[in-house]
Parts: sequence; C-alpha cells; structure tokens
Amino acid sequence: MSRNIEDERPDAFEIVDAHCHIASEEHNPMSFVEASVANMVVALSAQGAPVSAKKLTAMFMSKMQDPLCDALVAEMDECGISKTVLLIPDFTYALKDCKLTIEESYHRHREVLQRHPGRFEVFGGIDPRWGRDSLALFERSLVEFGFRGLKLYPPCGYSPSDRSLFPYYELCAHHHVPVLLHIGPTSPVLDFNFASPFLVDDAARLFPNVNFILAHGAVSFVEECIMLCRFRPNVYLDISGFQTTLGYDPAATAVKKVVSVGINHKVMFGTDFPVFRLQGTQKDFVEAVTAENGPLAELNDREKLLVLHQNISRLLETAVSVAA
Amino acid sequence: MQIDTQFDEQIMGLIASGVAGKFKKVKITRETSLQKELGMDSIGMLSLVFRFEELFGIDIAQLGIEINVAKLKTVEDLIAAARSIMSKAQVGQA
Repeated sequence: MSRNIEDERPDAFEIVDAHCHIASEEHNPMSFVEASVANMVVALSAQGAPVSAKKLTAMFMSKMQDPLCDALVAEMDECGISKTVLLIPDFTYALKDCKLTIEESYHRHREVLQRHPGRFEVFGGIDPRWGRDSLALFERSLVEFGFRGLKLYPPCGYSPSDRSLFPYYELCAHHHVPVLLHIGPTSPVLDFNFASPFLVDDAARLFPNVNFILAHGAVSFVEECIMLCRFRPNVYLDISGFQTTLGYDPAATAVKKVVSVGINHKVMFGTDFPVFRLQGTQKDFVEAVTAENGPLAELNDREKLLVLHQNISRLLETAVSVAA
Repeated sequence: MQIDTQFDEQIMGLIASGVAGKFKKVKITRETSLQKELGMDSIGMLSLVFRFEELFGIDIAQLGIEINVAKLKTVEDLIAAARSIMSKAQVGQA
C-alpha cells in the first residue's frame, strides 16, 4: 500500500502557496537583482567578509534555472503544497533590461499552466503606463490564457490607487479575480515611495467587489496591513518574506503576530519562491510555519486551514473558470 | 591540508570570529545551534562561506557544490559541510 505525502506530514493540511514566481532570469531583469545584491555586499563588507558582488549574483542566479517549474513542482510535492500562485511582476516599463516583453512573459507562464495542469494559477502583471495595449493583454490573459488575478508592483513608479488602474479593477470585478500587490522594501533600483499599503486604500474603497492582497504583510508595514485587513472587508495579506526573519528568529514570530490578532480569515501562506532559495527549500519554509511549536501552533484546525489554503482558494474559486 | 581535528578547530574558530557581540559569551560546541544560540542569520552564514573560501583558498561555486544554508543548523552541520567541501576540493586538485 502506498503512502502519500499528506499521510506523512504530522498535520495533513492542504497547502496552497499564494505567492511565488518562476525561477528564471527571463522574467527578472539583472538590474533588479544586482541592485538587491548591493545591499548584501554592504552588509558583508561591513563584517569584513571578502565579498564579491559578482559572486553573490552568480550564487543567486544559479538558483534561477527552472523556467518550466519542474523543480518547483518537485519541491511542492515534497512538502504537500498542492497548488501555487505564480505572479508576473511587470518590470518592463520601469527597467529597460528585461529579456522578455510582458506579453512574452505571459506566454511562458501559460506554457507552465499547460505543462502542470491543476498545480498553478497565474496572476498577470501590468504597468498601467503601457496604456491600452496592456489592458487588452490583461483581459486576454483572463479570457484566453486562464489567468486568475492581477499582479501589481507599485515600486515600479505608480500608486495602486492611480486612476489609470481603474479599468483593470473593473475587469477584475467583472471576472471576480483578486489583485495582489507588492508592498514594502524591494530592489533599491525601484521607488520605495510607492511601497506603502495605505496607497491601496482608495482603490479598495472604490472597488468593494475586488479583493486586494497585500504581499509580505507579515514583515512590512505590519501594523498598517493588519489595520487594513481588519477594517476593509476586501483587503487580505500574505506572509511571504517571513524567511527574512528566520535567521534571527527561527520561531517565525512575525507570522505568529499576524495570526494572533483576529484576522485569520484574511491571512494567506506564501513563500515568494525563488527569492529565498539560498536560505532553504519549500519544505524548509513549510516546516518553519507548520512545525509543532511553530507560529500556527495556537490556532485551531479551522484557522490553520484558512491560512494554509482556504483563504486564497476562496478568492480563486470565485474567479470565472476558463480553459488554460 | 589534512581534514582532521585541527581542521575542525579551524572551522570552529571561523564561526567564533563571525559571532555578534551579544552572543560572544556562548560556549561553542559541536551541538551549538548556529541560529538560536549564536544568532547567525543568512548574511552571517554567507559571511562564513566567504571567509571559509578565503582561509582555504578555494572557490565553492567552481567545485560545483551547492550549499543549502537552511540545512546548516548546528556547528556540527557546518563542520561536516566544510569537511565535505574540502574533500571534493582535494579530489579536484589530485
């Protein structure tokens, strides 16, 4: 008799990862990576370590060799992640060294959807400054490609409540798909002025039928994210990025905090794969959250289910279903 | 380079040199947790990797070795990884 992964985990909860990316340099401009590495170089140099930016970049890029998500699926299987949401940040307007156009990037993600049926959902990214072409591409992604959400990266230089985004939100309302937006720090090549979660408030108020997910809400602007989740019915947060705290806080207290304030119907598990691949695998990160004495230990089973998969699944289930 | 107890002590010395001030009083044994007892985050671990390469004059990437920092939980884990890397480096030189 065979045993499946669910049976082997102590808490056999289904897990959906609400925040990941394809591990491929095709979708991530080098200017973004190199500027991120610069922060690590400063930290390591201060400690007197013989560091080289080139070497650090090479270490990170060596983990970005999974364009079809085969390795990611293997990691998902290893730790009981049944489904993963792949996000496409559109850097193509702000950073001019992207290898692919945003349309090409959409097509690559569509290939992954078709290659691994049932294992992924995709949120298409746009930069509103691309204008009408971008809106048409996003609508096509929902109707024709089977994408299930909108990904925004405001530090590229726009507010999530900018009026130019309203037509996208109307599409999201029509197709019942959520919007996930980056908040908090990012690569220093981008603009931190647009990293605050409060910037989404106008949009969330004006589009009450669109659900907005604040990415990294357990580690960036935490109090503000909790407040928005508590008082805006259509605002959620994901915990991705919690790995940044594991080094000095293996108990993941950051996650424990957001699941201890009465908003567990709004909190979603996420890993931000492949950003933290140097620090560990998907299994390591699932274990950090679901460990017996981990941050979810004091939640009842109902709340654990909400955080680990039901909240994101609920938002995805309402989306119009079309064939990928 | 002999991979012996002296090598292990060098690794422990390397770890001690990278420990932040408030953890300096912790007695480092093979069982000591790198994160919980010595406060080493991912930057600290990367710093160790670079110092290790410098001390022994090797390039881990060129050896084709992948280091999963999350698996390095104790001083013993780090020593074992360092021994493995040195063995591969010596095979490469032979």
